[in-house]
Amino acid sequence: MNLGEICQQLDLAVKTETGQLDVEVTGGYATDLLSCAMAKAQTGNVWVTLQSHPNVVAVASLLNLAGVIITEGMVPDEATIEKAYEEGVNILTTSLTTYTVVGQLYELGVLGVD
Amino acid sequence: MKEAQGPEPVEGQCESRSIEKPDLRDWSACMLELSLHILDVLENSLAAGASLVELFIEKDAAADRLTITVKDDGRGMDQAQLARIFDPFFTTRSTRHVGLGIPLFKAAAERCNGGLTIASRLGEGTTLRAIFQDSHIDRAPLGDISSTLMAVILADKSDLHYVHCVDDKVLEFNTADIKAELEGVPLTHPTVRDWLQAFILDGEKELRD
Repeated sequence: MNLGEICQQLDLAVKTETGQLDVEVTGGYATDLLSCAMAKAQTGNVWVTLQSHPNVVAVASLLNLAGVIITEGMVPDEATIEKAYEEGVNILTTSLTTYTVVGQLYELGVLGVD
Repeated sequence: MKEAQGPEPVEGQCESRSIEKPDLRDWSACMLELSLHILDVLENSLAAGASLVELFIEKDAAADRLTITVKDDGRGMDQAQLARIFDPFFTTRSTRHVGLGIPLFKAAAERCNGGLTIASRLGEGTTLRAIFQDSHIDRAPLGDISSTLMAVILADKSDLHYVHCVDDKVLEFNTADIKAELEGVPLTHPTVRDWLQAFILDGEKELRD
């Protein structure tokens, strides 16, 4: 399943139109601790978090994630979105909670790293 | 309020921590304790070619403040580099374009009503200070500081001066002084290493009790 399909199914708002929503999603990881994402998230994963500050973009870029779904209505500032676009990091947002989004992803067959 | 503590190290042992982290995937621990942030900063000091690194940890219950200071005499940074130190896309590493150690440490301190400052002089060295509100619910435990210290000591690249104050109790040592007393026997010698490990573990335990 690619990120574009997930966006449609979960009705996510695409903040950075990087043109790469057809990236294949390999799985998912959810945490609000950036260091845990760095330790556990795999290439091509989608990362679900309510964190919206610039360090999130750096982590996603470093790990070559498929994208970051920022939950609970949090939205990164313009500078962060600009940086995400530069780095080729897909930022998607939703007003739903992390718990619900993870449940929806799981139902779509996007599984965890375990 | 009872101080939050990280996992107890196994009696007489320090967790094995390597100072070399060429590949991000080797770093399998989340930053769930401050000792890992500190290890990161100490590695920066060693990479900067320091001959003396000083680590001061001060827990002041009355002021409800935990202060961590790392001072090195490495190559330091110019104004341009210093201006970018908190930018996660700034790093001196050539293997990747992201350097998250300092930004994450800063975020951790700010989450605890504290902050992180860095001063540096090219050719002279760098001093980093992170301050936390000690009782803040999100303040991570110091954790296994003994393993962090041993990793730096066994890397054998720089001397280490360590001062850990908990109110009026102090644990302090300077590897330069220890080396002078050993008269040529290296710190990496198994007997010395084991003695040092025990000394640090016991000293840290004393501070907690």
